[in-house]
Amino acid sequence: MELTAQALGAFGPRLADISRYILPFIAVLIVARCVRSMLRERYEPETWAYLYLNGNVMIPLRHWECLLGRARSVDAQIDDPSVEKLHACLIRDAAGLWRIYNLGKGETSVNGVLVPAGGAILQDADAITLGERSARFVDLTEQERASLLKYRHAPGRRARPVVTLLLLTLFQLILVLQHLVYNEDAGLTVAIAFAVMAAIGWVYFIVLRASGRRGFEPELLALLLSSVGMSVAASKAPSDIFKQLALFAGAVVLFVVMCLWIRDLQRVKSVRLYASVAAVLLLGVTLVLADEQNGARNWIQFGSFSIQPSELVKVLYIYAGAATLDRLFVNRNLIFYIGFSAACVGLLALMGDFGTALVFFVTFLVISFMRSGNFATVFLAVAGAVLGVMLVLTVKPHVIARFQTWGHVWEDVDWRGYQQSRALTAAASGGLFGFGAGNGWFIGIVAAETDLVFAVVCEELGLITALCCMVSLLALALFVVKNAAAGRSSYFVIAAAATVSSMLVQLCLNVFGSMDILPFTGVTFPFVSMGGTSLISCWMLLAFVKGSDTRANASLAVMRPEKFSGGLGVEDSGADDEDGYGDEDVDYEAYDDSEYDDEDCSDADGWYGSPGGDR
Amino acid sequence: MRKVTTRAFAVLLLVFLTVAGMGVYIFRLAVDGGDWATFYANRSIYSNGVLNRGTVTDRNDTVLASASPDGFRYAESGSVRRGCLHVVGDLGGNIGTSILSRYRPDFVNYSFFTGTTGEAASMKLTIDADVSAAAADALGGTKGTVLVCNYKTGEVLCMVSSPNWDPSQGVPQDPGDGAFINRAISSTFAPGSVFKLVTTAAALETIPDIWDQTFTCDGSTIIGGQTVKCTGHHGTITVEQGLAHSCNVVFGQIGSQLGGERISQYAEKYGLTSEHTLNGTIATAAGSFPVAPGAGDAAWAAIGQYQDLLNPYAFLRFICAIANGGTVVEPTILYGESAGTIQLMSPSTAQTLSEMMSYNVELEYGTGTYPGLEMHAKTGTAEVGDGTTHAWFAGFITNADAPLAFVVMAERAGSGYRVASPIANTVLQKAVSVLN
Repeated sequence: MELTAQALGAFGPRLADISRYILPFIAVLIVARCVRSMLRERYEPETWAYLYLNGNVMIPLRHWECLLGRARSVDAQIDDPSVEKLHACLIRDAAGLWRIYNLGKGETSVNGVLVPAGGAILQDADAITLGERSARFVDLTEQERASLLKYRHAPGRRARPVVTLLLLTLFQLILVLQHLVYNEDAGLTVAIAFAVMAAIGWVYFIVLRASGRRGFEPELLALLLSSVGMSVAASKAPSDIFKQLALFAGAVVLFVVMCLWIRDLQRVKSVRLYASVAAVLLLGVTLVLADEQNGARNWIQFGSFSIQPSELVKVLYIYAGAATLDRLFVNRNLIFYIGFSAACVGLLALMGDFGTALVFFVTFLVISFMRSGNFATVFLAVAGAVLGVMLVLTVKPHVIARFQTWGHVWEDVDWRGYQQSRALTAAASGGLFGFGAGNGWFIGIVAAETDLVFAVVCEELGLITALCCMVSLLALALFVVKNAAAGRSSYFVIAAAATVSSMLVQLCLNVFGSMDILPFTGVTFPFVSMGGTSLISCWMLLAFVKGSDTRANASLAVMRPEKFSGGLGVEDSGADDEDGYGDEDVDYEAYDDSEYDDEDCSDADGWYGSPGGDR
Repeated sequence: MRKVTTRAFAVLLLVFLTVAGMGVYIFRLAVDGGDWATFYANRSIYSNGVLNRGTVTDRNDTVLASASPDGFRYAESGSVRRGCLHVVGDLGGNIGTSILSRYRPDFVNYSFFTGTTGEAASMKLTIDADVSAAAADALGGTKGTVLVCNYKTGEVLCMVSSPNWDPSQGVPQDPGDGAFINRAISSTFAPGSVFKLVTTAAALETIPDIWDQTFTCDGSTIIGGQTVKCTGHHGTITVEQGLAHSCNVVFGQIGSQLGGERISQYAEKYGLTSEHTLNGTIATAAGSFPVAPGAGDAAWAAIGQYQDLLNPYAFLRFICAIANGGTVVEPTILYGESAGTIQLMSPSTAQTLSEMMSYNVELEYGTGTYPGLEMHAKTGTAEVGDGTTHAWFAGFITNADAPLAFVVMAERAGSGYRVASPIANTVLQKAVSVLN
C-alpha cells in the first residue's frame, strides 16, 4: 500500500498529465465502437407468420401487430378497391396466439365467418377475406422458426462488447488516477467506488453473456455516462461517493428488474392503468409534501436522502403512455391519455418545475404523435402548452427571471448571469482535453454537479469527452429509430422513442441552458448529473431502449423467440459458447472479411429479403 | 405497425435539433471562447481576481508586463511603463484597445484546443521599449501621440499616447483629459497643413499642368468669398515651393481647382476615412473629410481645416505608402506577424511626394535640424477654433538601417515645426541608435 502511494507520488503527476490526453481518445473509441455496432449491424427483422395473397404472393409478418389494407403505409398491402385503406389488424400475443380485428367500415371474415367487433382467433392455414380479396394465413412451424433463427445474427460482430468493456474499465482507471493525483480530498474511497462500479459492469456483462445475450451497446454507453457522473460526484464530495455508488448499484438493479418485467407484454399492459394512477398520485403527494428549493417544490426529504418524485413519474408516464396497436386502431382513444398528460404537466407546472414540465410535454408530443400520427392533435397540444407556459410565467417569477437572463449572462455576471457566465468560463478554459478529473474549480459553484454539469465535464475532462457524452445519447436515439422498423409491438417502439426523446430534451435543456443557448431551466444531464432519482429513472428508462432491440439474442428485455413455445431445440449459439470468448475471433474475422459485407446484404436463401425492402 | 415505426422518425427531429445546438455551441466557443476563458472568475488564470500568468515583451524581450502567482509586474523603467501603457494596457482594463484588453486570451496562452490548461507563454510585440520611453519623455506633459513604424516591414516601434500614467502605481486620481484613450488609434484631430500632402497627391494626379502653374501669395487671398490667410508673403511660387512654405494661398487655390468632392475622394482613397484594424483586432477611429460645398470651403478643406478630422494611425499608413513606393505594408504590433500589403497610390505619385517632402526639409526645416537622419517630412499647425493649434509633424527617414515612418501630434501645443518636429527628432534619433 505504501509502495503504491510512493509510486503514485513519483510517477502519478506525470502519468496523470499524459492520461488527460488519453482519456478523450478512449471515450471516443468507446462511443465509436458502440455506435458502429448499433447502427451498422444488418437489418434483420424477425418473421412471425406469413400471409399468402392470390396463392403465390407471400408477405412475411415481421411484427406482433400488423395492419392490412389498401394504404401504402400498412404492413401487408392489398391493392384492391374493395379493400379499405386500413382494413384489418393482426395481433399476436406473447403466447403465440394470433387474432384478427376488423377496422373501419369494411368486412373481414375468417374461413367464411364474419369477424365480430371483439376480433377472432386466427389459426394456421385460415382463409381471410378482406372485401372481395382473400388471403391465407400461415403460421410458422417450429422447424421453420428454428431454421429462420439460425440465419439471424447476434450483435457484437462489428465491435466485441468485451473489448469495449475493457476500454471502459481503462477509462474508469484513468479517472481514478486523475482523482488521486489532482483531487486533494479524494482517496481510497474514490478508488473503491470506481472499482465496485467496474465490478458491477463486469458482473452484469458476464452473467448476461453466460446466458447467451450478445447486445450490450446501450448499457455500455450508459456505463460510460455513469462513470463520468461518478467522476463528477468524486469532484463534488469524495466523502459522499459511496452514496452515489449505492444509487448507481440500485439503478442497475432496477434496470435489470425493469428489463425482465417488460419482457412480457401482457403483464406490462395489465398494470398500465395502475401506473398512470400512481404517476398522478405521486405528483400530487409531492406538491403537498415537497420543500421549496430554488423556487421549485419538487423535492421530498427522507432523513438525509431527498428524492425528486417527478423523475420517477417520468418512468411511469412513459410506461402508461405507450400503447399497443390494438389500442391505437381497434379502439382509438387518446382522450384518456391527453387527460392523464394534462394532469402530469399541470401538477409539474404548479410545482414550478418548469424544466421537467417541458421534458414531460415533449415526451407527450412524441407519444401522442406516434399514437395518432395526427398533427392536428399535436397542434392542439402545442396551443394548450403555450397557454400553460404563459400561466407558469405569470405565476413563477424565478422562471421569468431566467428567461430575461437568457442571452444576457455577460451583462450581469455577478447576479443573474452568475452561474452561466462561470459555466462558460470553465467550459472554455478546459479546452479539448480538460484539466483532469478533480482538477477544476467550477464544481464549487452552486448546482455545478447537476444543472451545470456539462461545464464541469468540459473543464475537467475536456470538450471531446463532453461531446462524447452527448453523442452517446444521440446514438441511443438513432438506435431506437433504427430498431423501430423491427419492433415486435408498437408498445416497445413508442416507449423507446418516448424515452430517448425525453433524454434528448433533457440533454438539450441541460447543456444548452447552462451554455446560454437556451433559457436556463435546471434539468439534469441524463446519467451524468449527480442526484440519485435522476440516475435511477434514467437507468429504468434505458430498459425501454433495450425493449426495442430485437436483434438475435441481443436484449435482456426481449424474450427470445424460441422461449415462447417452450424450447424448439434450436441451437443457442450464445449459450453454447461457454468456454469464453476466444473461439469467437475466428468467426468475427470470417464475418468481417466475406459474409458480412455491407453490400452483400441479401441472404442467399431470400428469407429476409433485401434490408431496405421492408421500410 | 409500419405506421408507428414510420412515426418513430419524429425522434430524428430532436436528434437534429441537438446536433444543431452542438454546432451552435462549438461555433460560439470557437469565436468567443477566449473571452469566456479570460473572465476574472477563471481561477486557473486568476488569483484573487488578478491574472496570474502570461508575459508580454517588446521586440528585444524586455518585459513590459508579466503575471505570475506572486503578482502582476510591469516594466522596470518608469518611462517604459508610461511609454507602453497604451499599447500594453493595465490590469484594470482601462484601455480598451490595449494588448491586455484585446489580446488577453493570447496573453494567458488560451487556445480553443487547450483552453487554459497549457503552460503560460510569452507574447512578443514589435514595440521597442526604449524608443517608446524616449517618446513618452519627449511628449512629457503635452497631450498627443507619437507613432513610429518600419515602413518596409510594418513593425510598429512606438505608439505612445499622452496623457499617460505609471500603471504600477494604479490609476491616479486625475489621470488627465482622455488618458484612457490611445490617441494614435481612437482619436481624430484637425490635420492642418499635413493634409496638404493629400491635396498635393490629388493635384499631381488630376491637374495636368500643375507643374506649370505658379501662384502668387501676398499674405492672403479671397476664394469663393472667403478670405484665406497665409502665414507669410511668399511671392510668386510653384506648387513645390508652396508645399515647402506650407503656403495657404497656393493650396487654397489648388483646392478650389480640385473642388470639395475630389479632395474628399482622395482622403477616402488613401484610407483616411476608413476604420482600420490593427492586426485585424484593434479597431481604429475613422477620420472624416466631408465634401466642401463651395470653392471657399474647398480651399479650407485643401489646407486641412474646414471640417477635416484625421486619425493619426490612418495617416501613418498614408506616410508609409509614400515612403514605400506607394504600397503599404500593413502595420503590426505583434512580432513575427505580417498583416499583408496594399497599394495605396501609384509609385510615381509616391516618388514625387517623397521628393517634395525631402525638399521641404532642405528649403524650410533645415537638414541640420535632424542630424544623421535622411528626413522627408511635412509640418502641420491645425487651428482648432479656440486660438490654440494642434502641432503635427509627419514623414519618414530613408536611413538604410532605419526605414522609419512617423507621425507626431501634439494636441493644442503650438506650431508643428516648433513643437512636433523636435519631438520627432528626439524619438527618431533614439530609434536610429537602437536599430544600429
